[in-house]
Amino acid sequence: MVFRETGSRTLFLGVLFLFLAFAVFPWLGPPIYFISLLFTVFLYVVLATSWNLIGGYAGYLSFGHVAFFGIGAYATALMMKGLNLSPLWTILSSIPAGGIAALIAVIVGYPCLRLRGPYFAVITFCFAFVVDLGIKNLDIFGGPEGLWLKSMDLPIDVIRAILFEAMMVIMIFAIASSVWVSRSKFGAGLRAIKEDEEVAQTMAVNAPKLKIQAFALSAFFPGMAGGIYAYYLTYIHTDIVFDVMISILIVLMALFGGGGTWLGPIIGAVVLTLVNEGLSTFVRAELARIIYGCLFIGVIIFMPNGIMEFFKRANREPAK
Amino acid sequence: MNTVLVLQSLISGIMMGAVYALLGVGFSLTWGVMKVIHISHAAFGLVGAFLAYTLLQFWGLDPILSLVVSIPFLFFVACIIYRLLIAYVSQAKEVIVSSMIMTFGIAIILENLMLLIWSPDPRLLTTSYTSKVLILGPLYFQYPRLAGFLMSLVGVLVIHFFLKKTYTGKAVRAAWQQPEAAQLYGVNLNRISMITFGLAVSSAGAGGVAMAFLYSFEPHTHNLWLIYLFLVVIVGGVGNVLGTALAGLIIGVITGLSLAFLPYQWVNLLTFGLLMIILIFRPQGLFQGEV
Repeated sequence: MVFRETGSRTLFLGVLFLFLAFAVFPWLGPPIYFISLLFTVFLYVVLATSWNLIGGYAGYLSFGHVAFFGIGAYATALMMKGLNLSPLWTILSSIPAGGIAALIAVIVGYPCLRLRGPYFAVITFCFAFVVDLGIKNLDIFGGPEGLWLKSMDLPIDVIRAILFEAMMVIMIFAIASSVWVSRSKFGAGLRAIKEDEEVAQTMAVNAPKLKIQAFALSAFFPGMAGGIYAYYLTYIHTDIVFDVMISILIVLMALFGGGGTWLGPIIGAVVLTLVNEGLSTFVRAELARIIYGCLFIGVIIFMPNGIMEFFKRANREPAK
Repeated sequence: MNTVLVLQSLISGIMMGAVYALLGVGFSLTWGVMKVIHISHAAFGLVGAFLAYTLLQFWGLDPILSLVVSIPFLFFVACIIYRLLIAYVSQAKEVIVSSMIMTFGIAIILENLMLLIWSPDPRLLTTSYTSKVLILGPLYFQYPRLAGFLMSLVGVLVIHFFLKKTYTGKAVRAAWQQPEAAQLYGVNLNRISMITFGLAVSSAGAGGVAMAFLYSFEPHTHNLWLIYLFLVVIVGGVGNVLGTALAGLIIGVITGLSLAFLPYQWVNLLTFGLLMIILIFRPQGLFQGEV
């Protein structure tokens, strides 16, 4: 654990200071580019951290997590349009949007979480496709034209700053719940399921219930983030918010950093988002993707347990 | 009149299904024998399709003859990739997860190499017989589809008989059923895995050419093919060659019939919905059996 008795206070203060700095940052008038870059980083931290609740702790690899993100985005957009919400209420409506995502996770998770390993991965992958195609082909959801959201009547940098703060709040809650889960009995139960589900069940771990709870929680934050993201873009389309690449990126970020720890997905999300951004700025898109692909292969060969384990081992080895 | 429509869509469904089967067999083998989920399988199929396209375009070589070039080429490439990369993962603790991520990386690399070489424009295999049709009574058979169908039939049968009749094929099956016991009897697991992987990738190349007879393709197409792969393999049962072939036919018929009676955009929805239902109720596949 990172929070040791002695270092706990300084670390807490450091984290608090970091978040304060982030909170103040957009109001200092930095270039819009940095705000949107940080916004994207926060978004992926939320997604990877919440994916980790089911994928990292419990070992159920969901390859369709983008579905919950998209459901949240569409729920917020529809609520805003249907109920004529004011800007403040639109931002707050991301909370029920997260709730809807979590509810759908419970309904879908009930049959799907009985499957294991690759089968669970495939069924969640399919689920994301079904939701995507369903929304694309139903007219109440705007169909193939997508949905426009009316933005706030404020200067663009103020709007960006407000939504930046909203995403940061979601990120803090997502990280906090991930830390809480990792130290709670709930988290211990999930880890037991990952190690061996049958043994866990004989040791009185209520596996089906824990898995559903973890799945719902891991859908809640992406739903909220989707709502904020929709308002940030002011235009949503199924090809944007249900992009398969997002699902896969989330998994890679979490595993890259090291699934099963709360810090791993954060590191993975930050590093991979920045690498992706840097690559796509400096080299042409195809080459950037090729390098990205090599990165995946490199991670599997050189650090099969994520970068966190890799550096822990690197630190330990000289001491021997 | 309506029976003709049903029959016609049944026929085109069976033809599509055979192609899915050829594409899926290798995927099923790598998953079943090596426990490697080979995400870049469909991307290799696309490489086969693009090779056929280039050979046709520049030397006028028939796509079926192009397999003489592309199958050994893909086998060779696959063996190198096995030695360099896959051999690592197949010894990892979590083979399935690691292999999925690594081969996903390979798929991205292949997709973007294809984008660099062949550009993102959609392509069609236009041969001398593309627009020719064989008419039998009220039914008609398009020659390219027929070619893809026959190719797939031969491909699946060759793989089946390879596994059942040849010494190496029997070793592959032994390695799948009892890895330790097979090693005791002198089966070199590493070599068998390499051969399986090479065979799977080259069958993917052939399947890709067969797919190219049916549909237009571009470097991103492999993502859609991959979903059909999962569908075919899961319905047929992992590692089951004949099951995969049957599953391909079933899925082809379902797609063919729904194409005739449903708007196009609902067909994929139906297919994925079907896969979810099958996964929930029969994750071990519809057919019992071994390799």
